[in-house]
This record gives sequence, C-alpha cells and structure tokens, in this order.
Amino acid sequence: MKQFNILMQKEWRENTRNYKIYWIPAIFILLGITEPVVNYFLPQILEASGGLPEGAVFEMPAPTPEQILTAVMEQFQTIGMAVLILAYMGTVAGERKSGTATLLYVRPLSFPFYFLSKWVMASAISLLSVWFGFLGGYYYTLIFFDKVEWSKLLQMVGTYSIWVLLIVSIVVAASAAMPNGGLAAAVTFAVYLVLQLGDGLFGTNWSISPVKLPQYAAAWLSGSPDSASLGGAIGVAALLIFVLFVFGSWASRKNKAKTKV
Amino acid sequence: MDQTTLVLALLPILIIQLALMIFALVDLIKNPNPNGPKWMWGILIVVVNIIGPILYFVIGRRNY
Amino acid sequence: MSIVEVERLTKRYGQENAVEELSFVLEKGTATALIGPNGAGKTTSLSMLADLLSPSSGTITMAEGLTIGFLPQHPQYFPWLTALEFTEMAARLSGIESKKAKLQSTRTLEFVGLEAAVNKKIGAFSGGMKQRLGLAQAIVHQPKLLLLDEPISALDPTGRREIMNLLKTLQQDTTILYSTHILNDAEEMTDQLLFMKEGRLIEQGSLNDVKNRHAAPQIRIRFPDHNQAAEFIGKLSWEHKIKGDTVFLPVYKNGPSMQQVLQILASEKQDILGIDFQTASLEEIFLKVVAAK
Repeated sequence: MKQFNILMQKEWRENTRNYKIYWIPAIFILLGITEPVVNYFLPQILEASGGLPEGAVFEMPAPTPEQILTAVMEQFQTIGMAVLILAYMGTVAGERKSGTATLLYVRPLSFPFYFLSKWVMASAISLLSVWFGFLGGYYYTLIFFDKVEWSKLLQMVGTYSIWVLLIVSIVVAASAAMPNGGLAAAVTFAVYLVLQLGDGLFGTNWSISPVKLPQYAAAWLSGSPDSASLGGAIGVAALLIFVLFVFGSWASRKNKAKTKV
Repeated sequence: MDQTTLVLALLPILIIQLALMIFALVDLIKNPNPNGPKWMWGILIVVVNIIGPILYFVIGRRNY
Repeated sequence: MSIVEVERLTKRYGQENAVEELSFVLEKGTATALIGPNGAGKTTSLSMLADLLSPSSGTITMAEGLTIGFLPQHPQYFPWLTALEFTEMAARLSGIESKKAKLQSTRTLEFVGLEAAVNKKIGAFSGGMKQRLGLAQAIVHQPKLLLLDEPISALDPTGRREIMNLLKTLQQDTTILYSTHILNDAEEMTDQLLFMKEGRLIEQGSLNDVKNRHAAPQIRIRFPDHNQAAEFIGKLSWEHKIKGDTVFLPVYKNGPSMQQVLQILASEKQDILGIDFQTASLEEIFLKVVAAK
C-alpha cells in the first residue's frame, strides 16, 4: 500500500506538470458546450449561409433538450474517446521506451500497484473531464433550450461513466502490453471498433453487452433502461475491467525486460 | 434572449479557447525539444482553433 | 564471504549469445571491474544481476536480503521531477520510510555534489549532473551491492576523478561491481578483474594475478647508446629485449632481481642513464588478452 501512495504521487505530479489535468477537461467542456450552442444558432447559421431558396418556408423542429444531451454524448463517444486514448496510450509504454521506467523497475516494485496507479490517474482525469463536459452541456441546454431533470442527468452520466472506465482500462492495459504508445492506441481503436461493430451486427439480443452502456445511458433521459439489462451490462463491464487490471499488471511485469537500459 | 445575455452566455467558450491557446503557447516557448519545428506549432496553435493546442499537447509536446 | 555467486549465466537472443556461461563470485566489501570491448555483454550481465532481464540459463545466487543499487549507462529521468523528489521516490520505492527517505535523499545529493540543484527540475540538468544524480539514486537506500554500468565514462576528467573518489569512499561498506572501458581508473579501484569478450569471460583474477599471468614485470635500463647496450647484454644469460639504447629484462620468480643487475653493472663499471622497475599497465594487458583469445 505504501508503494501505491508513492506511485500515485508520481502520477499526480506528472499529470499536473504536463497539464493533462487542465487540457483534457477543457476539451470535454468545449465539446459539451458546442452541441447546444451550435444547435441554438443553427437557424441563423443556415440563413446567413443563404442556402435556402427564395420563399421556401423552412420549418425546423427545435431539438428537444434530451436530443441535445444525447448528441453531447455522441461527441464524447467519437472525439472524446479518441482524445482519452491518445492522451493515455503512452502511460506505461512511453516510460519503457524512453527508459525512465528502468530506474523504477530495478527496485522491488509492486507491478499491480504500478499498473493501478496508472489506471487510477487516467480514470480520475477521464471521469472528471466527462463530468465537467456534461455539466457544461447541461448548463447551456438549460439556458438555450429547456429543462432536463437533474436526476436524469445524474443517472445518464453515472451509466456513461462505467463505459468510460472500460475504455480507459483498455487503453492503459494496451499501453502495458504494447511496445510503444502508437501501437497501444492502434490496438485500443481496433478493439473499440470491433466491439461496436460486433455489437451492432450480432448483438441485438445481447442485452448485457457493455457496448450498450452508452445507449442505456441515453435511455435514462426519456425514461429508464431495462434494469436487468443495465445491471447485467454494468456487471460484465466491471468483470472486464478487473480482467484488464490483472492482464495489465501481468503485462507490465512481463515487459519489464523491454525497458531501455 | 437579448444580445448582452447572449454574449455573456458565450463568454465561457471564448475563455476556455483562449486559455487552451495560451497554455499551449507558454508551454511551447518553454519546451526545449518539441516534436517538430517550434514555429510550425506556434502557427498551428494560434490559427487552428481548439484542435491546434490539442494536437500540440498530444503529439508535439513530448514529455520534457 | 561471498554475497553473489554467478554460475554459467547465459543470455540468448535468437541464435546469438549475448552472454555465455559466465561464472564469478563477488566477495563482500570488494570492488570488481568488468572490462571488455563494446558488445562484450557487460550491460546484459549487469541487467541480469539487477533482475531487469531473466537469464536464458544459469543461476545467480544472492545472499539473503541483499539490497541492490543500479546505475545504468545512460540513466533516463522523469524531467518534470526535481532531483530531491526523484531521489526521495527512489528511496521510498526501495522500502525506506518517508521521513528517513527525505533525510537520506538530501544527504546523498550533497554527497554527490548536487546540493545546489536539489530543487531543480531534472529536465534542466546537464549530462554530468544526470550522471551524479544516477549515482545518488543508486546509493540513496544504502544498498549492500552496487551495480554500475560505465559510471565514469561519460564524465570529463575532473568529474571522473571526483566520482572515483566517491566510489572509493563507498567501497568501505559496499560491494561494487562496475563496468568500464577506462582502464586507468579501473586499475585504481579493483580487487577483482573480469575481462569479457563476445559474451564470454576470458580472464579473471586480482589485478596482480592477471598482470603476472600475462606480462612479467621488467627491469628497464637506459644506456648512453645502442652499442653499449648491445655489448652489455652480450654478457648476460637472462632473457632480454633491446630497443635502441634501452634494455628490458623480464623479471621471473628466479630472477633477475634489481640487486643482481645492479651488481653486474657495478662490476662491469658500466655507465647508465637510468634504471627502473616496470609493470605493464592494465591497458596493455587488456589489449594482449583480447587479441589473444
């Protein structure tokens, strides 16, 4: 446990001193705010661009606040996740490749704690970013559109957070297993795509597939997702996260020899 | 919604954008060894909104 | 008392043997110099001892509870940490409790001459400072065994001298195994020599043993000119060499001794410019051994 504290301190210092703790949340806040703002100004934008034929009556149904928040989540699903993957692809692999890990690995290091410290820091910043992002999006939806119940937002964000943790677990484990950050990101993107694709093609009945967590998160806005399915999906996600933790600790120890001496 | 509230409402976006740009620029100036020419990153950070600073942090910064 | 026993240590990469059947013993409180040309397998051997690499075959037996400090040839640091933060982290990861870690870190940084840079970010350090910091992190937890990969090669002559002196201080209560290709320095601090070439141990022993095995010490006499030198050796029955006006007489167990030579010179009333006793330098022996095998 002592080692965990020391390693956590190191991660904290790294993530504050390379500004990750500021710029990753900033991106998510911008992503979150952009959706309601752009939607609010869309009619004016279309008018200004003069894309409408003379006299055409353009009736655009104003999007519901629920639609806006779902769109925010979709932004997070694409750009947001890509940012997280790129930000943490090198968290273990980079240390090995540059050789900075060598002076850690020659000590009686606990690799599970080493991996855990990486995971906790990446997860904390990712969750913080996602929460602030949704908060920003929620605030602008509130002032530009309509009210969404606070409790609905919380349930949605809570469910989506599990999904974020799963993605973070994949990228940190990939970083432990792969020889460099680029490959770790490539593997994570590949897994991400295969999961989405597999679930989309064959997964209609896989109600406990964790890939459906974002859908279930969105479902909170218009009612509530099937609680058995949601519970199952969360359970499977938790199990996967645990497996990734065991695998990641094992891979970081196994790749100890690959650190640059 | 009148003009002033609108401007006030949009102010945070502007502030975050600016903060991101300034953060990136200050870091670039202090960076002894960025991944790629400094002037290129400088232009990218200033000209390409949001994406420029992010690219710099992800690719250009290197851990120094 | 031996604290490390290495037996038939081998590291294979594909078909290549980076280290082959390496065996040696480290005695407590001694300094051992690992010498060899580039690619001889020194770094690989040290990495195995530091438990960074696992051997393909062979064993390393260490005394129970042996703590190790390791200095790689090109230590890499987290540039965003200060020297003190880094040394402290190193000490604590090695099991030193937090208050003591801080105290020992400060002292160690002073010891290696970094007292002015304690709170500076390592990213701003020069090469020499990084080398000193490397030594600091290796000794901060007061390990019983120090493994140093080329600890002085990257330094300028002044820095080299300083670090050598530090190492000599440490040697009093630490066992040291270090690799180097600066043989003058190795000669100064070594109880045991290990010569490696192409992954194999080609020679080992104490400095004197190795020297005696490969090059007998010799008596060197300078004569006023070549003729006198040649004339003088005509009267000798010992093995000898002549180079211009200088004569070399290898010294073996049964002679000749300096006294015998001086007596002959006196009795012959031979005038000389100088006479001295010479031992081969480690460098000469190293070149000879490496070329021979």
